Amino acid sequence: MKINFLLNGKETEIEIEPDRRVIDLLREECGLTGSKECCGAGECGACTILVDGESRLSCLMLAAQLEGREVITIEGLAKDGCFHVVQQAFVDYGAVQCGFCTPGMILAAVDLLRRNPTPSREQIREGISGNICRCTGYQKIVDAVYFASLALQGVN
Amino acid sequence: MMEIFFPDSLDELWAIMSANPGGAVMAGGTDLLVRIRKTGRKPPALFCLERIDELKQIRENEKVIFIGAYVTHQRLLENLTVQKRLRALWDAVSVLGSPPVRHSGTIGGNLCTASPAGDTLPPLYVFGAEVDIRSKSNKRSVSVAEFITGPGRTSLHSGEIVTRVSIPLPAPGTISRYYKAGKRKAMAITVASMAVQAKKDENGIIELIKLAWGSAGATVVTLPEAEEFLRGHTLSEERLRQAGKLVSAGVTPIDDIRGSAAYRRMVAGNLLLRLAHEN
Amino acid sequence: MLREPLTVGMNAPRADAFTKVTGKEQYAADYYPPNLLWCGVKRPSYAHALIRSIDISRAKEMPGVAAVLTHKDISGSNRLGILEKDQPVLAEDTVRHYGDSIALVLAESRYTLQQALELISVEYEPLPAVFDPEAAMLEDAPVLHPGRKHAFLETEAGVAWLEDDGALVIVASTQTPFRDRTEISHALGIPSCRIRVIAPYLGGGFGGKDGITVQAFLALAAQHSGGRPVKMWYSREESFLAGTKRHPAILKYSLGCDQEGILHALDCRIVMDTGAYASLGCEVLALAMEHAGGPYRIPHASIEGIAVYTNNPVAGAFRGFGAPQAHAAIEQVIDELARIAGFDPLEFRLKNAVSRGDTTPSGVTLTQSTGILACLETARDSAAWRERERWESLAPPFKKRGTGIAAINHGIGYGPVIPDNANAKIELTGEGRLIIYAGVSDMGQGNAATYLQIAGDILSQTLDNMELVLPDTAQTLPSGSSSASRTTFTFGNALIGAAQALRKRILERASLLFTYQFFEHVRAEDLGLVPGHVRHIPTGREIHLSFVSTTMDQSERTAANSYTCPVNRQKPPTGGSLRIHGYPHRVYSFGVNLVRLEADILTGEVTVCDFIAFTDAGRIINPELFDQQVHGGIAQGLGYTLFEDFLVSEGRILTGDFGAYILPTALDIPDIQSIAIPLQEEDGPYGMKGVGEITINGAFPAVANALARVCKTRISSGPLTAEKVLAAISRNEVGKNR
Repeated sequence: MKINFLLNGKETEIEIEPDRRVIDLLREECGLTGSKECCGAGECGACTILVDGESRLSCLMLAAQLEGREVITIEGLAKDGCFHVVQQAFVDYGAVQCGFCTPGMILAAVDLLRRNPTPSREQIREGISGNICRCTGYQKIVDAVYFASLALQGVN
Repeated sequence: MMEIFFPDSLDELWAIMSANPGGAVMAGGTDLLVRIRKTGRKPPALFCLERIDELKQIRENEKVIFIGAYVTHQRLLENLTVQKRLRALWDAVSVLGSPPVRHSGTIGGNLCTASPAGDTLPPLYVFGAEVDIRSKSNKRSVSVAEFITGPGRTSLHSGEIVTRVSIPLPAPGTISRYYKAGKRKAMAITVASMAVQAKKDENGIIELIKLAWGSAGATVVTLPEAEEFLRGHTLSEERLRQAGKLVSAGVTPIDDIRGSAAYRRMVAGNLLLRLAHEN
Repeated sequence: MLREPLTVGMNAPRADAFTKVTGKEQYAADYYPPNLLWCGVKRPSYAHALIRSIDISRAKEMPGVAAVLTHKDISGSNRLGILEKDQPVLAEDTVRHYGDSIALVLAESRYTLQQALELISVEYEPLPAVFDPEAAMLEDAPVLHPGRKHAFLETEAGVAWLEDDGALVIVASTQTPFRDRTEISHALGIPSCRIRVIAPYLGGGFGGKDGITVQAFLALAAQHSGGRPVKMWYSREESFLAGTKRHPAILKYSLGCDQEGILHALDCRIVMDTGAYASLGCEVLALAMEHAGGPYRIPHASIEGIAVYTNNPVAGAFRGFGAPQAHAAIEQVIDELARIAGFDPLEFRLKNAVSRGDTTPSGVTLTQSTGILACLETARDSAAWRERERWESLAPPFKKRGTGIAAINHGIGYGPVIPDNANAKIELTGEGRLIIYAGVSDMGQGNAATYLQIAGDILSQTLDNMELVLPDTAQTLPSGSSSASRTTFTFGNALIGAAQALRKRILERASLLFTYQFFEHVRAEDLGLVPGHVRHIPTGREIHLSFVSTTMDQSERTAANSYTCPVNRQKPPTGGSLRIHGYPHRVYSFGVNLVRLEADILTGEVTVCDFIAFTDAGRIINPELFDQQVHGGIAQGLGYTLFEDFLVSEGRILTGDFGAYILPTALDIPDIQSIAIPLQEEDGPYGMKGVGEITINGAFPAVANALARVCKTRISSGPLTAEKVLAAISRNEVGKNR
């Protein structure tokens, strides 16, 4: 079936089996391999994308569900060649190690900051608690999200 | 390949359901899609409820809040009435899964999965929630206790869906809480949990108390004898400890990889003690 | 920051972070060559059985199936293994665990692949299976360490194809690209020179990609794919089933001291279950034995070690490599002995900790930097330690608090026999840019970024004037595995030589160019490198590196350097047979971990409140990357301490996915205070030592020691789950004090 949706700001029409998972649609049909699959069962958050602004697990969504939705993947977060504040903070505060959790983690953080622009460290930990990272121990990720929140508030 | 349908209304849903026997209703997919992946068994069709506006409404009057079956956990978390007057439900949803799971999962889905570990269920028990069920030709309501009939089993008949959950709002001055023990602090399947709704008089004497335990039996466990034991008394540590013994003896949990039955028994009883420090 | 020349000793942005935060970085799992075929493996239905017959006919005939291969299609030895070649690529007549491989299917889609795998029918004759290593029957209560899974986020993945000339190219998530080539060659009978292995950044490794995972299947498939590229990517469940684990271990200890608290004797026995194949079982056991007595002087020690084959999942390398198991035991025993003998646990350790020149219980005389006393002294002086009793007394209702420490060490590198060698190459391009050819995989620890930092420091260049070529057997030079806390230690030393050689060449050539310009002899000593240029310091005149480069030919523009680590040449009186397996080491990192935690006495749930790591891993090249290793190692350590339990019953995995195998989330790990005790190590580049593994050794015993204060008893098997903690607390409530 044909599915029409907004993918990273672009009107997109794709011919696909409706029961293919969104993660497969993105990686295999659209070539957007920034969304990672690590568990396939909603237990790790590596496949997180934003659907109508809300973080969702693309391994637990079917292609047909995207009809008419707005999807943002990690590839669509930077605007005009400039990193999103959260991306920049991940670079600046050492939040990236192997990087396989990074795309999902960043999108989870973007959603968190949209809902709560002034989170405490504990609230940041809660906000990214659906995203497993095996490398960092989370601390520098929490730092990055915290400083991104300050940057978004205009505090330097 | 599964056929996937997105009806816009209940009428459309009934038509699609009768034309596609054997299909499954999807209300979030956080359990259903995991199960399909695990078993490899795909139903011939999925009926996704996500575009039926009627199922996404939250309405309330002075006495009752009506929560549509397709209200996500996230929306429950953000709802002021849930925050203020149904704290046990709010507690439960705040420790359910993880943020992205709460963005997809729904209250109707959690009910119909009917897992003994389902976090919203014990609060719905203590609040005396009613489950509204509809089919093409019929409407009925049952209490949540009647709705859940076993692990993964409900009293839904073929052709029926849950359309909403009605929760009587507790009287002012009532407290409610949900306590959960899991294997970690997020994304944890409940190993043992307890929901409580209680009202004390001005002397701290318990007038009303409702208790329900999760992951403590084939379905949510209620123990009227424990409630009876606490009613008419203050919640002293000693009284709660004794009640906890009744609870440990009364629940009927199982052993699995997440915890032994003995541990679940002990925790189910111990969780009562948390009440000693609640106001 | 990008405009500044990179400097050793300072933070520098990780080159890989830029592409990782945008999703552009291409991991092995992200390769989808056009027209690819998906490959998958048929796994057995028994943990131990003879294969009577394999019927592949139905699978082969299925539309969309390109090939079904068995051991009969393999022309080499069909044996994989790093030292011990005991693991078939595809089983011949026997399967030895549930993760074994019987047949390989190539199909158009993953869906077809799954169906075809189900159509393969295998007739078995079940054999008696062994699941308990023999010593599991010991009557005493030993410290039991279950297996653990690496749970790297990128599961085993890769693609392969044949070039027009028939040469094989494999892109894989691997810690060992060069060794893989040799292993594949041996198993499949393909000449090593016809195999090219490329290792992009790994989505985590931790030892679980030390050796062959999907590479041999990919190589075999590419030979039977009709010229099409092949792809393989394990699901999480398959990764758990077929991948290696940390060795489950049973550790039995006796330790004695005199009235002054001086340790005199240690007697211990370590039994490890290596599963169905050797993998690195002997090497892991050897490292566990080397660390069995911890960083102490114990003059009389008997250390016995046994690695046992069973029909359980295969155990292999995992960050720490045997040392975490050993430290989990010795550091608890030390604490218990201190308590029984009436000493403060930290003072007791200070009395007995090694200094340079001392000999460890495993018979290694320490000739290199030894910072354990400095770590212990710093820990003793910390507020968290000094005020621990007060802090513990302030526990909220229904909570109990405890404080625990552990002292740890970790050997760096391969040991005395297998050469710990790396070969660095660096090139000045025609455009005046620098290319660093990194021969060691970066599995996430950031060693590749560190290589840029070292080269940038020596050649005074900025990040944006440098490029990196990741491990590729056709472009980079053999440099060993990404493992053993050696990736920066060994390759860094090699790179310093290469970068200095190139620097000298550039300056010498530039001195000629300046001489022509000034018509006066210019000495190389008067020149310095600045970003993009060579500067004549007395005049400030600069020439661009590209200009220098045009006057050099390819051989001059490229510098290579080989470095082999010095080894420990001591021949301890016993244990000589362990030398081939890596014992003894020469350089050790040291550390002390201090943990403060709170146990919920109603549920047994443990909250780690504070964690302080005092680490002597030598001087620090990049403080941020150092802390990343500290934080990450401790988080993994806390994971296996409190949550992770690789449950196996009759050889079958019960916790085979992320739903059942519990990894710590952001809410389960506290902020960690990382305090460096940066002693200078003369062997290490810039005085550094490896920090990748020392960080994982201490969490378990530190937490166990804190919990022993809470529970007033010890829990003898890991992980220290809420259930075990609650049982221990209740046991004590009932029986009251010991």
